[in-house]
Order: sequence, then C-alpha cells, then structure tokens
Amino acid sequence: MTYRVGSAQGFYGDNVLSALPMILGGHVDVVCFEALAELTLAILQKDKLKDPNRGYTFDLAIIASKILPEAYQRKIPLICNGGGLNPQGAANMVRDTAEKLGLKGIKIAAVTGDDVLSRLEELNEKGETLAHLESGAAFQPGDYPIANANVYLGAAPIVEALKNGADMVITGRVADPCLYLAPLIAHYDWAWEDWHRLAAGIVAGHLMECTGQVVGGNSLAVIDTLDSRDLNKLGYPIAHVEADGSFILTNTPGLPGIVSSETVKEQLLYEVHDPAQYITPDVVADFTTLKLDDLGDNRVRISGVTGKPRPEKLKLNLGRLEGYMRELIFTVGYPEAWKKYEQLKTMISETWRGLPIDRVEYSFLGINSLYGSVAPLPADPLELVIRVMFTAKDETTLKNAVRLMMNNGLSGPAGMSISGSTIGADPRIILGLYPTLISRDHIMPNIAYLEV
Amino acid sequence: MPKRLYDIAYGRTGDKGNIANISIIARTPQAYQDIKAKLTAERVKQQLGDLVLGEIVRYEMDNIEALNFVCYDALDGGGTRSLRIDPLGKSLAGALLYMEWED
Repeated sequence: MTYRVGSAQGFYGDNVLSALPMILGGHVDVVCFEALAELTLAILQKDKLKDPNRGYTFDLAIIASKILPEAYQRKIPLICNGGGLNPQGAANMVRDTAEKLGLKGIKIAAVTGDDVLSRLEELNEKGETLAHLESGAAFQPGDYPIANANVYLGAAPIVEALKNGADMVITGRVADPCLYLAPLIAHYDWAWEDWHRLAAGIVAGHLMECTGQVVGGNSLAVIDTLDSRDLNKLGYPIAHVEADGSFILTNTPGLPGIVSSETVKEQLLYEVHDPAQYITPDVVADFTTLKLDDLGDNRVRISGVTGKPRPEKLKLNLGRLEGYMRELIFTVGYPEAWKKYEQLKTMISETWRGLPIDRVEYSFLGINSLYGSVAPLPADPLELVIRVMFTAKDETTLKNAVRLMMNNGLSGPAGMSISGSTIGADPRIILGLYPTLISRDHIMPNIAYLEV
Repeated sequence: MPKRLYDIAYGRTGDKGNIANISIIARTPQAYQDIKAKLTAERVKQQLGDLVLGEIVRYEMDNIEALNFVCYDALDGGGTRSLRIDPLGKSLAGALLYMEWED
C-alpha cells in the first residue's frame, strides 16, 4: 500500500476547494495546504496590527467550514501553514467552526515558535549576528521598521502533532516542502537521519507545493496539448509514496490537467538554485541523482533521490518596511511619440522637484516592460503606453506627487492621457526581505492542542 | 524567421528574493548536447542584458537533460521591492528562449 499525499494550496488565495474532489473521491490519505510566499507574512502583519486575533490566512475559514467536516469524517488529516503570524488564533477560529458544525472529538494542533520578532534583541545578545545571508553585511536594527521575523521550521512539530492524533495541524512559517514531508515521516516512521528517504519526501513536496504548476499551469511544455478551457479547472497533484521514498506523481482522478515528464521537469527546477544542494531544515536534497519514468496516463514515477545531512543553521527571513510605491500610466500617440515622452519626463521631474521621492522608473508597456534592454525600441511608434513607477518613504508624499501631476492635466504634451484607474489607486508597500541564518538551539517549536 | 533557443528547448523562471533561476529544458537528447556545449553562463548573461545585474551561475542536470541558470541581482531588488511590471520575473525565461540559435 502506498501513502497518498494531496496538495490543495500553493499560495494565499489558491483554490483550496480543490481538496474536496481528492477527499470525496477517496484518492488521498492526507491533504497539505501551502499558503506562505516570501511576502505573505508581511501582508498578514498588516491584518494583525489592525486586529490581534487575525494574522492568519482567510483561506483557513474555507478549509474549516467546507473541507474539514469531510476530511474528519474520513480520518484524513489536514496540514496547513496558513496560520501565518497567528497559528493559535487560526486554531481558535477552526475550533469555533468545528463546534458549530458539531464535529465532536476533533483535535486541532497549533504549531508556534517560528515568530521571533519580539526576540530579535535577545537573539542578538545571545551572539546571533543576524548578518545578511547574501551580502554578509551586519544587521542594523534601526535601519527600517521590521514587519515580521520568521524562522523556517522543519517537519518535526507536524510529525509530533500527527502522531498525537491531530486531525488538523496549523502552523506558521514551515519550509514549504517540509509540510508534505511531515505526514510521510509520521506514516512510515522514517528516521531523522534517513537522508535519502527524507530527500525523496522533499522532492515530492517540492513538486506539489505549487499545485497547478505541475499539472499544466504556468507551463510551456503543454502549451499545444492542454485545452485552454481546462486551465481554470485543473485538478491538483497527488503523490503515491512508497515506504522507500519513491513515488508516483499524478493528477486528481477525473479532473483536467497533464502530468508528464515535461511538466515534472519544469516544476522540479522551479525556484531552485544548486540542484545538487536543495537546502531544507530537515535534509539537503540532491535532485541530480533522481530518475523520471513517464508511465503514461498522467503518472510519472520518481525514484533514486538522494540526500545529505541537514544544515546546521535555520533560515530566518525578516520583512522590513522600506516605504511605498505608486504607479501612473500615461499614453501618447503619433506623431512625435518619443518627443512627447521626453516632454512628459521633464514635466514630471519639474513638478516633483523638492518632493522627497526616492526613485522614478519609466517603461513602455508592450515594448520593453518585461524585457528591458533585450527588447529593441521602435524608431517612430504609433503609440506609447508609458508606465511611471515612483517610491517614497511615506504615503503622503506619493499622494501629493499624484495631485501635483493632475494639476498639469491640460498643460501636458499633445494628446497625452492618463489611465484613470491608476490615478485612484492606493500606494503599495515596499518590503525589503532580509534573509539571515540562526542557530537551531534558539528555536523551540511549541504545539498547543485544542479539542472539541 | 531565425531559429531560436525556444525551438529546441523550453523553460520556466522561479524567484527567491532578488535571485531568479531560469531552467532551460532540452526537447531532445541532441538538443541537450547542443545547449550543454554552447549555452554558457556568459552567453546567457549577454542575452539578458540589463535584466540581470549580477553574476549568472550555470548548473547541469544530465538526468533530466536540463540546465539551470541562477541569476543574481535579477529582479530589481526582489518581488516585494521591484518596480517592474513583472516583479517576480515570471516571464524572464522568455528573454532567454528568444535567443537566436545556430546549429
């Protein structure tokens, strides 16, 4: 018997209801939901500042009300890192929902300990320099306000919660593929030094953690073979994992999508640096030894994954509030489109003279906005859509900059227009991600259980 | 129409902070031998121009006949900071697949 792991979420806002056909069809033994991109925790911090009971992903409410009742009835555990900055608050919400739905006997686990925002000074005093992972530069606490500081935890607390009978495990920052590794360790009792098997579980998780991306989403490989009408109906992936770690990756039966060697290769290298050293908190996986066998019928077998001992330190990401950005889109047309662009540029710099604006960047939509200098510029274009991006430390400066530009509405270059929806838009936060490493000794995950 | 890298390979971009990785996956075993021999990090750096300000490191994956190019300082500060219209560089692989390719 293989153990079947389903993946029903790849980002905050994904279609978590894709878990239902997996569960109702009897196709999975556990379902994992991966909700946290690098930026997500900082977004959740904004929610938490407004309401201390929040700070978790809204998707969890859908999981609790629509998916948990079906999963609990069939004894299929659910694992989700969408607890974000408040796994305990999320667990409280799930418990309240379970109570209302009459799910007697249900056990919910909340994993905390990844959030070290309030401990940065203490960690600094304990000898953690928190030097920047890429540049090596020393940490300067006063540089910018810090929105969040979360350590990437591994699979261990989830494994413990599952072994203690949790029906749903809610975590904060757990490294994405470790969410999927955890139920495999719990089920097969893999040892913590069984590097090859742990690495195989990581590869399974890595392939599934972006849901639709391995069944034909975001895929050049299937651009000619996948029906466009199916793109919004893709099934999400399921791995059938053997005790030795080898597994068959497949789609949710009966749903559209393509799982082939080609789609698996695309996802295998997605967000990967050195493929021989894919670093996770639990193991360093080597993707260069594995073998893919396309078995047909949307089934690809992956075997031969090898692993090396886990890294000594854990990764810690700080999110720093560096300011705000704003977008305005202007259009000019033939004749003299380039001259009109130069006039606009001059008018903007004259108008904003004296305002504390940090950066102004220009690009031309449909010409070079994606590919910069790779794209050749036309000599005498019929139309130019000019995108102006500008930044400041505070929102008020950006609002003033827009207002002052609007005052020029009838004085600009001939035929110039401004996209109305960009005039009314809100500024967006600029978040600087600051990655660093931290000793494992300082991080003690905690598990709280709630029962109905 | 000139022959392009896309004719013999496909690929996808991923992001981590200000680092983008571009996978280039050969369509045939012969295509893999060709890209392994000719698609050097230097050529990729040249093709990507001012999209990538930092170093580019190439990794080979013989087992799946693919190359992985890790591009440093490639996302205008990273997805949460970038002023580009495609801040995560989702379409970046296309700039490389557009490269003219001579057999």
